[in-house]
This record gives sequence, C-alpha cells and structure tokens, in this order.
Amino acid sequence: MSAIEFDHVWYRYSSHQDYALKDVTVTIGKGEIVGVVGPNGAGKTTFAKHINGLLKPDKGLVKVLGRDTKDESVARLSRDVGIIFQNPHHQLFSETVSEEVLFGLKNFDVENPGLVAERVLEDFGLLQYREKPPLSLSGGEKKRLCIASAIAWDPKILVLDEPTVGQDLNNKRQLLDLIVSWSQRGKTAILVSHDMEFLWALNPRILVFSKGRILADGKVDVVFTDEEILHEASLRLPQLAELAAKLGWKNPPRTPSEAAKRILEVKGWPM
Amino acid sequence: MDPRCRLLIALMLFAFSLAFLDLPKVVLVLALVILAGTLSKILRRLAKLQILTGILVAFILVINITIGYSVIYSLTLSLRFLSIVSSTSVFFLTTSPDELEQVLKWLRAPRDVVFAFTTAVRFVPVLMLDLSQIIAAQRSRGLEFEKGNPITRLRKLSPILVPMIVTALLRSNDLAEAIEVRGYGVSKRPTSIYELKFSKYDWSCIVIVVLATAALTFLLIY
Ligand SMILES: Nc1ncnc2c1ncn2[C@@H]1O[C@H](COP(=O)(O)OP(=O)(O)O)[C@@H](O)[C@H]1O
Ligand SMILES: [Mg+2]
Repeated sequence: MSAIEFDHVWYRYSSHQDYALKDVTVTIGKGEIVGVVGPNGAGKTTFAKHINGLLKPDKGLVKVLGRDTKDESVARLSRDVGIIFQNPHHQLFSETVSEEVLFGLKNFDVENPGLVAERVLEDFGLLQYREKPPLSLSGGEKKRLCIASAIAWDPKILVLDEPTVGQDLNNKRQLLDLIVSWSQRGKTAILVSHDMEFLWALNPRILVFSKGRILADGKVDVVFTDEEILHEASLRLPQLAELAAKLGWKNPPRTPSEAAKRILEVKGWPM
Repeated sequence: MDPRCRLLIALMLFAFSLAFLDLPKVVLVLALVILAGTLSKILRRLAKLQILTGILVAFILVINITIGYSVIYSLTLSLRFLSIVSSTSVFFLTTSPDELEQVLKWLRAPRDVVFAFTTAVRFVPVLMLDLSQIIAAQRSRGLEFEKGNPITRLRKLSPILVPMIVTALLRSNDLAEAIEVRGYGVSKRPTSIYELKFSKYDWSCIVIVVLATAALTFLLIY
C-alpha cells in the first residue's frame, strides 16, 4: 500500500475561475522524500492541503495510507499526516513552549504526553525554553518548534510547506538532517519548496508543478538539469548543476567537495 | 459615478430607513435600496449580505412574536433593520478604499483619521486570509470545533484568536514602519493622484436624489 495516492484530482476554489489542481495523478510510496516545486500559484499548497483532507477533490480521488480522504475527518487524517504551514505565527498560541507541543499530543490522545513532549523538545534543542512563551523564540526556533510539535505525535507522513523560507544556513542544515533521519525511520516526507539548493543537497524525488498540473516527476539530477522544464516552471538551475553543465559533465556532483575532487582529478593537481 | 454622489444616495436611503415606521413605506425604501443595488451591479453581493442579516432578522422576528408583539409590527421592525443595514452596504460595497479616502478628505477629516479608516477597510481581506490559514493550521493539529459542550468549544477559540491577534499586531507594526520610511506624516496636506469631479451624470443624480428626498419627506409627513 502506498502512502499517498492522487488519482486524476481536480480542484477549484469557489472564488476562482481556473482550476488550482488539474488532473493530478501521482503515487508516493512509504519512506519516500518528495520535493514539490513550482512557481507561485502553481498549486503546491493546494496539493498539500489535500493530503490531510483540509481540501477534498472536486473530481478524482485522494487516498492516504489506503483511506479515501472523502470518508475521513481532517483530525483523523492529521493523526497520520502532520502538515506544517509556512508561517509559525499562524499556529503558535500557547503560554509556554511545552504547552505548544502538548496541544497536538492531547488532541490525538497520545499516551504520556508530558514525557513525549520533553523528549521531542530535547531532540530539537528547545528543552531550555520549555517554560518560555513561544513568541519569545527566534524565527528559526519558532519554525523548529512548529515542526517539533507535529513530529511529537509521530505521524507517518510529514508535509512541510516552504520550510526554508526565512531560515539561515544553520537552520537549513538542521532541517536537512532532520528530514534524512525522518525518512530513515521509514517515514514519508513531502517538502513544498522552491529552494533549489536545499533540494539539490537533499536529493529527493521531485514533482514540478505548473499552473495546477504536474509538469515533471523524477529524480533531482534528471529534473533539475532539464532546462526546458526549469524554464517552464520559472526555476533556476542549482549552482552545482549549472557548473556541471558548463563543464560538460554528464552526472553533476551532489556536493561542492565532490565537484572540487573531480576538477582536481581532471587537472591532475595534487590533492 | 462620483463617490460623494453614492454617499448621498446611501445617506438618503439610510435616513428614510430610520424614519419610516409603517410597513408599506418600509417596503418601499427596501425596494429602493434593492434598486440602487441592481443599478450599481452589486446585487449578488448585496443578496449574500442580506441573507446573513436575514438570519439575524428572522431571529429577532421570532423573538418579537413570541413575546407578544403583533406580526405586522414585528415584520416592519425586521424589514426596517434589513433596509438600514443594506442601505449602508450599498455605499461600502460600491466604494473602493481609494474613493473612501477621497470622500473623507473632501469632508475635511484629519489625515490620520482618514488613513486609519481606509487602512482598516483594506486590512479586512488580508486578515480574512490570515484567519483561514490559522484555522487550517490548527485543524491540522487536531483541533475540532464540532466536538464537545459549549464551554469546551469556547476554550477552543484561543488557538484561533491568539494567532489572529498576534498576526494582526505584527502586520500593523510592519505597516507603521513601512509608511514611516516612505515619508508618512511629513506633509500636512499631501498631494493626490485622484481628484473628485462632478460630471453631468452626477449632477443629474443629485437632482434625482433631491426629488426623491422631497417625495419621501412628503410621504413621511402625510
Ligand atoms: N483560499 C483561496 N481562495 C481562493 N483561491 C486560492 C486560495 N488559495 C489559493 N488560491 C489560488 O489557487 C491557485 C494555487 O494556489 P496555491 O496552491 O496556494 O499555490 P502555491 O502554493 O503553489 O503558490 C492560485 O491561483 C491561488 O490564487
Ligand atoms: Mg504555497
């Protein structure tokens, strides 16, 4: 059984003429990491909101862990699908950091919520702030808290909408590690992002959205080196891919050190 | 049409909605309000609003009748309420924040008041968007409004209200800084790219309004 299945999904907002999702068909397996990219208004967030049933398809079918989202409440689906939206201020409301994490745990009747919350806060390096108000944290910490409060109830699928916006290099690195270890536990992660460098480093499967349709679906090194697709989706080549293209390399390097090694080999310079 | 002209029409309809007390006249004003709505092509939005108000009105109607007022009297009262609300909406639904600003300036309102007022109007759609995103975010964390008794339901409002207030404050803070760095408050009488001008069409409108006012006043007195 796959984690997420979209079968010819169409969706239109009542205030809009045009469909925000047009005939979207895709299957995402358990344990996969998927990056969803595309220009503003392409339908990425609309796609994400279908995964926990916040939106239900006008036509077609969405199945999450084998269950038709039309038959389930948002709360029941969210038990298995943790979605974190872009703006932390849209969800932080508690008096303390630990209460913020407890909110989801209580809603989903998780056992030993106090202990679970403490462990998650420790994992996320937020334990020292547990009695502080969430709004007193820095931007990166707020984002981490939002992610922590979803991971706390241990969903099977994590959906992050624009997680790298406004995050510094360190935060991004932590996020990268977090997603990698998440998927190593056999869990599914969906990242909505147009941070090409971030996705390049993460090396996930990529879905390219454009005007409500899936334009391309494939591995990063295939999709992100296809200039035609990137142009269509107004995206820019990641720097390492661009470098590889300029040097005429077939398979682009994943990290700067890999690139450096190859360049030095060609030149025959000593390492 | 000049926004001042629209304001005048709305004021007239509003005044007579208040003034008339018997059923046929109230129905007449309500018909005029709907006519104005039709002419300004906002009928659909006006109808939406009237349905919302209608629910409240129906509620008042039921209460009035149950506590023993006559049906006619209660009906008149309800329709009056409906026409009072709709007559003001005729103005606000047809007038953009820019035009509102012009009208307020023309009325010699202080600049800060004008700015505060139009900004509040402009903020409504932005805040509505925030609200829907906040509700989506909290429902994704397992918040369910449908469950529980009235008291627990009331407590469920804080995950919505707190972020709402916080984002509104942050937005207004951002706005305050943004306008200040662009010179807000430097000039007492800032220039404007729009100027209000009465056209022939507007003058004929005024004449109609004056005639209508006379006619309705006649109705009111006799
Ligand atoms: N709440 C909404 N109401 C009406 N239209 C919306 C709403 N949210 C998004 N849209 C429209 O749907 C389309 C897709 O939006 P969205 O999924 O948010 O795109 P993305 O996340 O890729 O930027 C856009 O044209 C947008 O204007
Ligand atoms: Mg989006």
